[in-house]
Amino acid sequence: MTGAEVAGRDAAADEAELLARLRAGDEDAFEALVARHYGTMLAVAQTYVKGRATAEEVVQETWLAVIQGLDRFEGRASLKTWILSILVNKAKTRGVREARSVPFAALAGEDDAPAVAPERFRGADDAFPGHWRAYPGNWSADTVVGDRETIRAAMGAIAALPPVQQTVIRMRDVEGYSSEEVCAALDVSEANQRVLLHRARSRVRAVLEEHLDG
Amino acid sequence: MADLHSDQHVSCQEVVELVSDYLEGALTPDEAALFEQHLNFCDGCDWYVDQLRTTIATVGRIEQEEVPPAMRQKLLTAFRDRGRS
Repeated sequence: MTGAEVAGRDAAADEAELLARLRAGDEDAFEALVARHYGTMLAVAQTYVKGRATAEEVVQETWLAVIQGLDRFEGRASLKTWILSILVNKAKTRGVREARSVPFAALAGEDDAPAVAPERFRGADDAFPGHWRAYPGNWSADTVVGDRETIRAAMGAIAALPPVQQTVIRMRDVEGYSSEEVCAALDVSEANQRVLLHRARSRVRAVLEEHLDG
Repeated sequence: MADLHSDQHVSCQEVVELVSDYLEGALTPDEAALFEQHLNFCDGCDWYVDQLRTTIATVGRIEQEEVPPAMRQKLLTAFRDRGRS
C-alpha cells in the first residue's frame, strides 16, 4: 500500500484509537506507525543534517523520544505533526544547516529552470507567441500510472532532484502530507512550498515524458 | 512563477508555470477561470495538465522506504520496555 492511500484513511477519528493502542503497548500499531512515517522522517531529517547515516540516527532518536513522551502527548496537534516537530528539533540540535538561515534560493536549489523547455513554444515573432509548437502527448489514453517501469522512472527523477524538492514531493505526493505539514516541517512559507512542489512535479513530469514518449 | 496578463489572456507557456498553483487552489477565482478557459480551447494544455495529474498519481504509487531491520528491532525493544521502566 502506498503512503497516499494510507494517509487518505488517516482520519482524526482513527487517531484517538491509534493513540490508545500505542499507550496500551500494541506492537503492531507501533510498527505500522514507524513504517508509515519512516520515508518522510528520513527525508525531512536529510534537509537539516548531512548524510544519510546521521539522518537515520535522528529518526531513531526521535522515535525513542516519542516512546518516552507517549503518555504526555496531549493531542493538541496531530500525532504525526507532533512526531515531526520532535524530529525537526532533534535534527536542528545536530547543528548542521545553521537552523535554516539559508536563503530560500539556495535551499530550493539553484536551478530556476522553466517547467517546459522554452523552445517547445512559439517565439515572440510568431502569430501565437507562447503557444505550443507541438502538443505534449495525450496520456489519458494510456494506463501509465501503475506501470512498474514508469514508477521506477519517477523514483529516479525524484532521486535526482535537489534535496528540499525531494522532501516536498515525497511528503506531498508519496506520503500524502498536507501543505501545512510540509511548511511546518521544513520551515518554509506556503508560497515557497508551492514553488518547490511545482519544480519537483514539473521535473518528474519531464522525465516521465522522456520515458513514455521519448 | 508567471503572472496572468491583464489583457485576459494566458499563453501555453504561462499555463505550464501556473498549473501547480491551479491544482493547489492558489489562483484567485478570476485567474482560475482564465486558466480553465484556456484549457477548454487548447488540447495541448489540457493534455499537459492531465500529464501532471498522471505524474502525481504515479508518484503516489511509489512504495515507502523500508525501515532498516536493526532500527526496527531497536525501536521495538524500546517500545516493549516502555511499560516496564
